[in-house]
Amino acid sequence: MNSAYIASILNSTLRSTTPILLAALGSAICSRVGVFNIALEAQMLIACFFSIAVNYTTGSVLLSVAAGVLSGALVGLVVAVLQVKYRAADMVIGTSLNLLVQGGTTFLLYLLFGLRGVLNDPKLVSLTKINLPLIRDIPFLGRALENLTILDYLCYFIAAALFVYLFKTVSGYRTLSVGINKAAAESLGTKATRIQMRMVVLSGALCGLGGTALSMGQVIMFTENMTSGRGFIAMAAASLGMSHPLLTILSSLFFGLCQGVGLALQTVIKSQLTMTLPYIATIVALVVFSRRGSGTKKKSLPKA
Amino acid sequence: MKPSELAGRLWRALRQPLVATVFGLLVGAAVILACGQNPGAVYLEMFTKSFFSPYYLFSTLTRATPIIICAMATGMAWRAGYINIGVEGQMVAGTFAATVAALYLPGPPPLAALLAWLIGMAAGALYALLPAVLNWKFQVSMVITTLMLNYVANNLASYFVTYPLKDTSGDGLALQTPEIAEALRLPRLSSTSTFNAGFLIAVAVLLFMLFVTKKTVFGYESKMGGFNPSFARYGGTKQVKVMMITMALSGAIASLAGTAEVFGLKFRYADNMLSSTSYAWTGLMAALIADLDPLGMFFVSIFLSGLQIGGSAIQRSLGIPLEIATIIQCCITLFVSVKLVFRLTRKQSAKAEAKGGAQA
Repeated sequence: MNSAYIASILNSTLRSTTPILLAALGSAICSRVGVFNIALEAQMLIACFFSIAVNYTTGSVLLSVAAGVLSGALVGLVVAVLQVKYRAADMVIGTSLNLLVQGGTTFLLYLLFGLRGVLNDPKLVSLTKINLPLIRDIPFLGRALENLTILDYLCYFIAAALFVYLFKTVSGYRTLSVGINKAAAESLGTKATRIQMRMVVLSGALCGLGGTALSMGQVIMFTENMTSGRGFIAMAAASLGMSHPLLTILSSLFFGLCQGVGLALQTVIKSQLTMTLPYIATIVALVVFSRRGSGTKKKSLPKA
Repeated sequence: MKPSELAGRLWRALRQPLVATVFGLLVGAAVILACGQNPGAVYLEMFTKSFFSPYYLFSTLTRATPIIICAMATGMAWRAGYINIGVEGQMVAGTFAATVAALYLPGPPPLAALLAWLIGMAAGALYALLPAVLNWKFQVSMVITTLMLNYVANNLASYFVTYPLKDTSGDGLALQTPEIAEALRLPRLSSTSTFNAGFLIAVAVLLFMLFVTKKTVFGYESKMGGFNPSFARYGGTKQVKVMMITMALSGAIASLAGTAEVFGLKFRYADNMLSSTSYAWTGLMAALIADLDPLGMFFVSIFLSGLQIGGSAIQRSLGIPLEIATIIQCCITLFVSVKLVFRLTRKQSAKAEAKGGAQA
């Protein structure tokens, strides 16, 4: 195994991490305010669709990203209204929305573009690629960071910003207090339900950004159900990161690595087998880290 | 059970789904309007081609078979509070094991068939026990593990039908196993269509569910566990045992859905045959719409199956994508869940919390 090979694995690790990290941050903030949001998959997939749909019709990267974020936030808003405001059963809302978006995007793809299952066109524009001037020429690092998109960098800043917001600002402390004890937070005058709803919409926006990174990053296309469980992997990442933005970076990088290695192994092992890797790794990781900080985890993730 | 009593039970089970269905169909009508078609005409076409003619009714019931069984598998776990969204994986694991057993086991046909079904059930049960054990030993969220295992099962089965167990007769292009022996297949119940004895298995599963939930101590214990875990523990329920049995049963039932499909309809395992058809997810929808009531799940499954059969009919004749069926289904589920809350918050909000937020 030479260094160029390792560099290319690192490169695809970083690319695969971005959607997972962004969605995991969305999952983390929901857990932090005590909302069990399993519609992450829907929030991502709808963004994959609308970012590509807008991309196809306008050719503008900025508008595509905006469409992705907004559509994700919109699904988040539905979750917020039904699940937080009207307290409908979380599993029911989550699974129905996941399926609704799955069917709905396929339906819209046909209705708007007359296509079945895939929208892939040479005129689709990719996210802005960044090749840092000096680093580009360093042999190993240059390859590892080659052609990463702006979102591949931005996601770490978003994680850091969330950390600062949650743990270093007054408003962040209020937000955290809602998750720790909603009734107590309310008694101190915090508008708990409003904060919960706001965080769920924010999680939708983050997942939307993640979905956009998925459809306009490594490959530029929309395919039916292209998120294939990433929303749930992101939940696992947030849970392993104990819903802490900075720790979530680490756990997301781990899942990104699994996907990167899985892709690299496809040259040696049949792809059907390597494709199971991220899913098995998720389960193994949850098992291995189950004892550590189980107290926090129990709070953030249900028994179910 | 007296007829009036039965009617009352049916009404109670179907009241909410019926109201939600009307709303769901209204949303569907809006979508059809957006497609520039006449909703009335489309719905008429849809239902004529799913329920109102014998040939299509048989297609609807054939497609309903795995959906009913998946709904029961889902209901078995969910009513005990175990969020099993891995019915698809358990169905694939069980079905694949049963198919392989049917292909390679020697012995007289009735015995070999029985053995194959049992092996399938065992495989499905084991596949469902894996997340249960991980939840028990390591507190790993079953929501995540059961879903992850869907992808694992589908990809593994895909590997086997692509390489070692692929049918090499014919053009060898299709990714599928060889056909199982004719003597092992389920009998057809209609001479003009593919309607087969698999539907009777679905009915048997319904009866089994009704029996377990209404008449056994286990059914009571598992329901209590889902309803109020601390009360169940106080009452002396051995929760680990209940969890294991519940999940094993759920997985075993799930396996029947796919095995009935292979033995009654397709006679072989073909790549993605169980995932591309969304049987498990439609079953889950049916279970949610019927609020996990076995009788309700049975009829809702048939209704959803009819929507899908009608959906493919209008896709062929009117050019409206068949995903209209999915959209209507999901809207029905959303309306059911919201309706449920309106009803409960008025009566007792605590109960709503036990069902939704608090459990999470």
